[in-house]
Amino acid sequence: MSVATQAGPATARSRPAVRRRPSRRRRLIGLAFAAPAIAYLAVFQMFPMLYGLYLSFTSYSPLDRGAPRFVGLGNYAALAGSAEFLQSVGVTVQFVAEVLPFAVGIALGLALLANRRVRGIGLWRAGLFLPRIVPLTAVSLVWLWLYSPDGWFNSLLADAGLRPHTWLLDEDTALHAVAVMRVWKALGGNMVLFLAGLQAIPKTLYEAAALDGAGAWARFRHVTLPGLRPVMVYVITVNIVYLAQSFAEIFILTGGGPLGSTTTTNFLIYQQAFQNNQFGSASAMAFVLFALIFAFSFVAMRGMGRRS
Amino acid sequence: MPLTARRHVTLAVACAGVLLATACGTGGGSGTGGPGGLTVWFPGNSAPEIELVTKTLVPEFEKAHNVEVEITYVDWGQISPKLNAAFAAGTAPDVFGHGPAAAAGFVQTGRIDKLDERIAALPAEDREDLAAYLEGGKVAGVQYMIPLSGQGTLIAYREDLLTAAGLDPASPPRTWAEAYQAAQKLTVREDGAVSRAGLLLQSAKTQRVQTFLTLLGSEGGSLLTGDGRKPAWNGPEGTRALEYFARLYQGDTAVSNQLGADFANQPAAQNPLATGKAAMVMATSGQVIQIAKARPDLADKIGVMPPLEAATAKTFGGAGPGLFVNADSANKDLAWKFIEFMVSRPVSDRYAQAAGALPVRASAATGAYASEQPLLKPFVEAAPAYLGSPNVPAWVQVRDVLDKHIEQALAGKVPAAEALAAAAAEAGPLLAGE
Repeated sequence: MSVATQAGPATARSRPAVRRRPSRRRRLIGLAFAAPAIAYLAVFQMFPMLYGLYLSFTSYSPLDRGAPRFVGLGNYAALAGSAEFLQSVGVTVQFVAEVLPFAVGIALGLALLANRRVRGIGLWRAGLFLPRIVPLTAVSLVWLWLYSPDGWFNSLLADAGLRPHTWLLDEDTALHAVAVMRVWKALGGNMVLFLAGLQAIPKTLYEAAALDGAGAWARFRHVTLPGLRPVMVYVITVNIVYLAQSFAEIFILTGGGPLGSTTTTNFLIYQQAFQNNQFGSASAMAFVLFALIFAFSFVAMRGMGRRS
Repeated sequence: MPLTARRHVTLAVACAGVLLATACGTGGGSGTGGPGGLTVWFPGNSAPEIELVTKTLVPEFEKAHNVEVEITYVDWGQISPKLNAAFAAGTAPDVFGHGPAAAAGFVQTGRIDKLDERIAALPAEDREDLAAYLEGGKVAGVQYMIPLSGQGTLIAYREDLLTAAGLDPASPPRTWAEAYQAAQKLTVREDGAVSRAGLLLQSAKTQRVQTFLTLLGSEGGSLLTGDGRKPAWNGPEGTRALEYFARLYQGDTAVSNQLGADFANQPAAQNPLATGKAAMVMATSGQVIQIAKARPDLADKIGVMPPLEAATAKTFGGAGPGLFVNADSANKDLAWKFIEFMVSRPVSDRYAQAAGALPVRASAATGAYASEQPLLKPFVEAAPAYLGSPNVPAWVQVRDVLDKHIEQALAGKVPAAEALAAAAAEAGPLLAGE
């Protein structure tokens, strides 16, 4: 029998907590109840991932009747010299870099506003969260209309006496237009996370800071931001992961155009796999993208963790 | 009675088993319509077509043959990915619809059945009636697809706008050069930008290749060499064709706007011809008919030009989407009966009407549908000028390569000749099967 000691605040009657090791029968029961989830993960997550890794070393079309043909590192080597792939990585990085600061910064501002006790604040919070629960495809379709030649943005321009603009057909504006939509979509979810983080910061810290003469900015900088750092790390990491895999909004709004200016790596993977039937090459792209996302996320987490 | 631990374990394992079984239980052979049934996938999302096929035609077929037919309509953009996945999984339908350009790829991988013998068994009268568009369903001289309809693109125009610009709508342009001159008069510019296009050709992704094919064919050129193994689009005809196309969008004399816009797939009422944002628009028969339906006030103000000439008169068209028989189908005879039913005389006419497409049978040119629909007549008459995409295995990839370089030229990034040469260099190995 093993004995574990739980650390915790000292109390008058504090004594080490004793935890019995579960019996073999109970462990089996636990395992059996976890089996559906394990099976789900194995069938729908692990197997496709490992199969994708295998495909990345092969040449394979789903229309072929034969087995995938092993090509070693050929697909990865080809990517290194592929201008199309490198451009797509550039587009992906630019897209993440454009969306992330606004999706995080504005969400933080909204969370600070929503973290007040005023009449109707629940409605305000719900309104801000609404875009989060609308499917990305539906949001993209609505924004497709907003950006259309006869859409809302152009009617605003017309009201201001300005010429209409083909936002999604212009190489110089298409990616920015998608980024604006993506910022709007990300705000609600990020705001709620920041709001939860704000409400977890003890009020006593603010009171102590105020007693020390700290103004609003000093309290924000020295109490709020450090208190939010764990949430901030999570929000930034999750946003990098999601944004770097952008597909649906690109598929609907621009189809990767014009002139490839919105072809993200994930969209290129789709084209390579499902339009060109090159599953091997597409899988290699997917694993390179995975490595890049992992690296960016790791750097972000380490960077912020070190500062904390 | 409390459950014992053994019962807990049994219950949980059973749940996991059921979950796994439902997750993995999609295997099996192709065609899931049951032993005596049929599965059919149609491409597209046209509401009138879906309603006719699912509510009228298929029930008629089911009743006549005492079978069940499971129909699925798949959006055009998704039909290839879904078919590929279904072929890989062994769950592809018995019969599926696709464009003629997809045929060679399926042939190369042995996924579709030859239909020559079945065509030969048709009555001679039917064979002759269907002959015009059957050619588009052949790969290397072998019939693999039966077109359900024909398709063609022509320039539709607003007679009222031509009149207002001092042009005679009764004698519209006959050549591409005349069309450009007319477009100059029809174009409205505000602050240096085109606010009403004089001439709008299709320039969205992949559509611009069809437009280029129209212009190239009119110049007397062709996309590929006779054996289909090398690009031929980079000759002087191709350069002239692409220069014409690009000139529509560039400089102070531009007559087109919305480069890259997919107005062909917009709702008919939003088509630039319907909204008056363009005076002459490249369109299919279906689009023109739908515009006239959506805007009845414009129905008698829309005209359609015969195929425009440069060196000759050619335009993109030919066999439209058609039906294929899955080579692995367990119900090939029933699959053929379904195709035979769909192209039978009364059914094909109703189908073409619902789809707004050209009737697949020559005899339908004088039928009720064609005669009641005056806007269809120019498209039917233009049939000899139709030019289809090449039926070569790598066509879809080659088309995408060409599309990418045409887009560069249209945007003014590179000269036409350079774009076409770059496309030929990139597509050459694909065509050679390397």
